[in-house]
Order: sequence, then C-alpha cells, then structure tokens
Amino acid sequence: MMRTIEILLVIIIITGAFIIASIYAVLPSPRQVSPINLRRLALTTLQTLDVDYDLSETMFKSSDDPAWGQLQIAVSACLPPNIVFNLTVYDVMSGGTQLYTMYKSISNAESLGIESDAASYLVASSNVTFNVTPERIGEHGGGGTLYILNCSDANGWWITGYTAQKLAEDLYNLLSPYFQAAIMVQTTTQLGQILNGTALQGETLQNAVVINTFGETVPIPAGYYSSSGVGYDATHSSYAMYCYRLGQRVRQYNWTWASIVGWPLYYVSNTATFSSRQNDWGIYGMVKVREPGLQAFLQGIDNQAYSYENSQTGSPGVVYLSSGAQYYCNYYGIYPSPYQTSTRALSASTMASYHLSVTTYIFNQVGDWIPGAVYRHAVSGGLMALGLTRTPDIRLTALGLLCDYKPRLYRSEYSAAGTSRLVILQLGQVGGV
Amino acid sequence: MAGATIDHLISVTVFLGAILLFISLFNQTIQTAIVYQRHRYLATKCSDLLDNMLLSPGNPLDWGKQNGTPTSFGLQDPEFTQYRLSPFSLMRLNYSEGAPVYYSKTGQWYSNLTMGFGQSLLVPFTEAINYSTAAKLLGINGTYGFSLTITPIITVSISEIQPNPLKLAVNVKGAGFPLANANISYCFITVEATGGEQSYPSYTTDYGTNCTDEQGASVLSFPGFDGTQESYVLIAYAHMSGLVGVGYHEYLRYYENYVVPFISDFATRTVLIAHSWDVHGGDSPAEISYNATFVLLTEDFTLREVPLDNSTGRVGKINYGEGKPYMGITIPTYNPGLLVITYRKSAQESGVVLMPWGISSMGFPVSFGGNSFEMEWVTTDTRQVLVNGIAYQAMLALWSLEGYQVIS
Repeated sequence: MMRTIEILLVIIIITGAFIIASIYAVLPSPRQVSPINLRRLALTTLQTLDVDYDLSETMFKSSDDPAWGQLQIAVSACLPPNIVFNLTVYDVMSGGTQLYTMYKSISNAESLGIESDAASYLVASSNVTFNVTPERIGEHGGGGTLYILNCSDANGWWITGYTAQKLAEDLYNLLSPYFQAAIMVQTTTQLGQILNGTALQGETLQNAVVINTFGETVPIPAGYYSSSGVGYDATHSSYAMYCYRLGQRVRQYNWTWASIVGWPLYYVSNTATFSSRQNDWGIYGMVKVREPGLQAFLQGIDNQAYSYENSQTGSPGVVYLSSGAQYYCNYYGIYPSPYQTSTRALSASTMASYHLSVTTYIFNQVGDWIPGAVYRHAVSGGLMALGLTRTPDIRLTALGLLCDYKPRLYRSEYSAAGTSRLVILQLGQVGGV
Repeated sequence: MAGATIDHLISVTVFLGAILLFISLFNQTIQTAIVYQRHRYLATKCSDLLDNMLLSPGNPLDWGKQNGTPTSFGLQDPEFTQYRLSPFSLMRLNYSEGAPVYYSKTGQWYSNLTMGFGQSLLVPFTEAINYSTAAKLLGINGTYGFSLTITPIITVSISEIQPNPLKLAVNVKGAGFPLANANISYCFITVEATGGEQSYPSYTTDYGTNCTDEQGASVLSFPGFDGTQESYVLIAYAHMSGLVGVGYHEYLRYYENYVVPFISDFATRTVLIAHSWDVHGGDSPAEISYNATFVLLTEDFTLREVPLDNSTGRVGKINYGEGKPYMGITIPTYNPGLLVITYRKSAQESGVVLMPWGISSMGFPVSFGGNSFEMEWVTTDTRQVLVNGIAYQAMLALWSLEGYQVIS
C-alpha cells in the first residue's frame, strides 16, 4: 500500500510540474505567429501616396486645408478594412533641445489595438533648394591652384575622339569647384611661364596640381625649354631632357603632375616648333620621346642626374577600381566604369626606387603593376598616372585627385527648420485574435 | 507477502500509465511549440521572399520586354527604385486563373487573363514564365510553394444608367473606403460602322474630366449619343492624393464574330489579330474588318491616342477557317497603354475589343503561383506597390512543402 501511495505522490508532483510548465509556457497568439509586416505596409503606403509628391505637398499645407481630408480618405482607401491608422506629422526644429514638434495628426480609429507598428518618412518642402558646397583644396593650407593644360599650339595623342581642349573644358567643370583657383594654361608660352615660376593670374604656384590633358603627349614651350642642354638632349637627339626639367619643376614647386591616359611623357608637342615633324603616326607638330621621357621625369623629381634610360610599363589587362575609389565615387557622385583596361601600368618597384610612394590607389595593384595611382615623393612633388588604354575617361582623373585630396562636401541639412517634415504612419490590426 | 506483491504490481502499473500519459502531454506541448516556431519562420520567409520579388528587377533587367527566360526572377521596374513594378514583367507571367487558350493557326497554347468579353490578355506559353520556373529562379523549388496576387487598390466600376442619351455611373472605391472628391479623366471611344460591306470600321475618341462626390460616385453624360445604336467603350482613370485607379466599360452591338488579339513577341512588340471562330468557335462565322489604335495614359492623367502606322497593320480584314491567315500589328512603343481594336461585319454589326499593353493600363489583377489547397499553414504578407503609376496591392501567400505534416 505504501508504494501505491508513493506513486500517487509522484503523480501529484508530475501533475504539478505539468501545470506549472503549462502556465509559464505560454504559446503566442496566432496573430503573433504569422503577423502582417505592418511596418513595411506603412512604408509602402507612404511611398505610394507620395508617388507624385502629393503627400509632400499636403504636409506643408495649413492644418485646416481640405487636402488633409483628401489625404485621410486616400489613406483609408488604400489600407485593408481591418487595418486602422494614425498619421502624425512633425515639424523639424533646430537649435533647441526638442527636435520635433507635432504639427497635425489624422486617424480613423480611437486606438490602434493591442499591437501596432509604424514607419517614418521624411518629406521635403518644394520651396527649399538643397545644395552641396565643397571645401576648396588649399583652403586650410598652401596651394589650391589647379592648372589644366589647354595649349592651343599643341596636339594630343591617345585621346582619340577628343581634343585636349574639350577634355580641359570638362575637367574644368568637374574640378574647379574643389580648388581655390582653376586656371587654363592656354598656350605653351604660358606653360613656360609657370615653369619659370611666374604666376599667370596672381595665383599660388606652389603646391599646385597640373593636369596634362594631351594624353601621352606633353606640350613643350619654344625657346629655352626646347634648347639643347635644357630640353633637348643633342647626344641622343631626344627631348627626354625636357621631361627631366619637368620633373625638376614638379619637385621645386611641389606640384602634382597628372597624366590622364597611357604612357606618360611619350611625345612632346608644339605645332610651331615641330611644324614639319610628325609622331610616326601622321600627327604633325609632335615628336616622339619614347620610353626615356618618363624615366627622365622620375630622375628629375628625385633630383638625380639626367641619364638617357628607358622606362617600363606593364599590361595587366582588365583592372578594377580600388575600394577607396569606389567609396569616393559615391561621396563625390562621380561614377566611371568600375573596371577598365590597363596597358601602360607603372612598375611599383621602379617608382619605389625613385622614392615615390603611393598615397592613393585608384585601381587595385596587379602584381608589380599599378594601373592607376597618386604617388608622392619623399621630399617634394607628386605624380598621378593612369596607365589605361585609350580613350581616356576624365572622370577617373577627377576621381583620383579627389580621392587623394579628399575635400569635404558640406550639404544643406534636411533637418533645418521649415525645410522638412517627418511623417509617421502607425498601423494597427483590428479583429481576430 | 501477497499484499506487498499486489501493492507492487498496482503501483508499477499506475506509475507506468501515469508516465505514458505525462510523456504524451509534454510531447504535445513541445510539438505545438515547434510547429508555432516553424510557422513564425514561415511568416519571416514570406516577408523576405515578397521583398525579393518586388525589390529586384531580375536578370536581365528588362526581361519583361524580351522573349527569353530570365536567369533571376524579380518584378521591380528597372527604371525605378523601391516598390515600383514593371508592367511588362507582370505581363509575362503565366496566370494561374483563366483556362489556357489554344490557337491552332500558331499551334500554341496561351496563358489567359480575361476580365470580360473583349478584355483579355493572351500570352504564349513559350514566352510566359511559369510557376515552376519562377520557383526555381527564386531558389524555393520543392521547399516552399507560393501564390502572388497583385490587385488594384482603387476599383473604378462603370455602369450604364440610361442608354439614350447615354449616361454612365462611375464609382470609385479603395480597399476599404470610397474615394470621395477624386478626379476622373476618361476616354470615350465610339465605333462608327458606317460605309459599305468592304469598309473598315472607324472610331471617334472623346476625352473629358470629372470629379466624384462624397460617395465616390460620378455621372458622365453624353448628350446626343444613343447607346443602343452604336458600340462604345469608356476608359476612366481616377486619381487622388497619389492614388490612381483605372476602370472601363463597353457596350457591344455584335458578338458573333470578333477579333482576338494575342501577344506574339515581346521583343518586337508584335500582336496577332485572330478571328474569334478560330479560337472560340461559334455560330455564323463571317469575315470581319478591323481598325486598331493605341491609347496611352500621360503623366497628367489624360489619355492620348497614338495612331498606329498603316504599315504595321492598323486596318485589315480577317476571315475564319483554313487558308485564312491571322493578321499582325506592331505596338509603336514600350510605354504602357491600351490597344483598342474596333471591328465590324456590317453597318449595323460592330464592336470593340481591348488589350492592355503593360498590365496596369487596364488595371488587370495578376494571380500567379500554385494552389495552397489542403496546405497545413499558409502565411501571407502585403505591400503597396505601383505599376506604371497605378496603385496596386501585392499579396504573397507562402506555404512549406517540406517537413512533418505540411499538408493537413
């Protein structure tokens, strides 16, 4: 009998355990198990109502305007009958501790039931213009001058389909807002002037950026810079020495020299000086410098003695924008194709041997080859080289420079008082369990 | 001794019985919790899958305007962001409702979306994306079943109040409320079957605007028009606070022989014009002539006629039976609109058929997917979407095909 009593006690204990477990193990209601995503429904409702900016327009109307009544009808009409809503509009404040103050609220029910969810939507006034003001390079330090070579007495190469002048114009439009001064260098004489350290319009010469829009060609001033022993290497019958002088000036003035496409400094051009000479491809006013041009430039920037030597480039093929460049594509709103073909990439080891280190990768490095990057010399001067195949995309030049200088963009604040209103649509479900 | 044994036997028996009972009770509780958890997961999956369908244009981006099978399924309009759907991708779905139609002269079956006489969309099976293909492209083939329903939020219903002079009542309703003070813009097309036996039907178009009252109703009057003597069609768009809906109504004087438009090729925008006898059979077959035009909805909610070029088969005659080929016309644009084809047999026997070019232009609802009949648990989720500016509600029903007891 004792065992039977023990068993009964055990049954009582297990029954108690079951009851206690049943009390605490509360299963969710069917509505909680398979809920309608009210948040998404609210957001898509607001988006639907704002398809032609009708919602935005209504939000800025006076609180007794008939448009609010129409909005209430429209919200009711587009929601299922078992969904109730509360639409509240907040004015965005500025300055004080309170960010939002309620402007108006419309609803079709006294309460939103046991469960509700909401979506927010920011609408902007049609009377306000939102703009972006860029920080100017050199604003907080030296420099800030952008020189764009637009020499009318020189021809370009590997800019197929464009003229240097057209590219210069586009670059000016793209980059001038970001610099203290943007100056078009209209002739090779003006180029000679700045190489001699004379400002064209009173701008700061030091720390400037010089963009060569002539592709693989560089304009050469007549006279001093074309003369033997200065720009012309009589021993090798080459204008590689001019490229050497350019390198020296880049170092002297701490310039950043930008080459937009191909093999930098492969030709020199002056339509008057070389009027009867052509570049072997039928373009008159141009002389081939070949591989020693780049090498001489690097010697100049590194303050080495001039030596007639060949440079090298590589052909890594299809290359991709670096993650940094992709980030700044979004920041500056410049969207070139993320992959390009590189056939004139510079060698990382060669650049390092001239004490040039990469400060910004525009394209990902492929082995020893760098398809596009900004280099800075350990002492002074810099080079941006895009070793891509023709035809050039000047957006890449702009992107590369902006990636390197990183000027900030000051955007109008959407939260400024009077410009925006915050709309909250809260939905609740009625009926059912 | 015997008492102890009996005591022992009774206690063991009762204990075993009690244990079995409690195991069963606890097991039931645990099983219910697992099933609830699975249902909860299904609801999350449903929401994700609906967003996947509505927020991706698929691949290629404009597969709705091409003929091949896409490599990824999505219904978003590639020219927009957010919940805006392509009216052409929706056209290429193999609709789950409506019996397929066979047309012997092309030897093809057609997916059938018919809203009434002369208001149909027939897409060849070879061009339509079927349920199993969509399930494979979504990566749920064999694991989940779904049914996607996209219905217009605004219902514009039109009925005749009196035929002569013609008065039509337009009622505009939302999902849960009549649309008071909504603006209505309409296009009234009348068929003129004048001329001799060999004449093509001509038509006149009349445009206008109106406004609904507090009940969401409006009356359109056409003084001087006798609705018993001529075939006509009214297409009305209602819009208010961003919501746009479309409705249509037609009165036909002649039903025995008519034209049936079939989508032939999305890439070249070709539509076949078939004789009704070759498709649906019927009595007293006869040759009919037709005259087609294209009407599109402009951004200011007015309707604009885009006449078809004569070289694209705007007018023609079509006969039934063997040796009588179907005709073809080319839609001039990828802008969604309405193909309006007037037809006539004689001066007294005429009619008009409509075909949407882009699912939204006639506010056609779309039902695509499988059948959830006998499934143990079906979860649903809803989004408001826009199809070429027309407000629709997209609802996805999802059920599991794997696991224990998925079929009740």
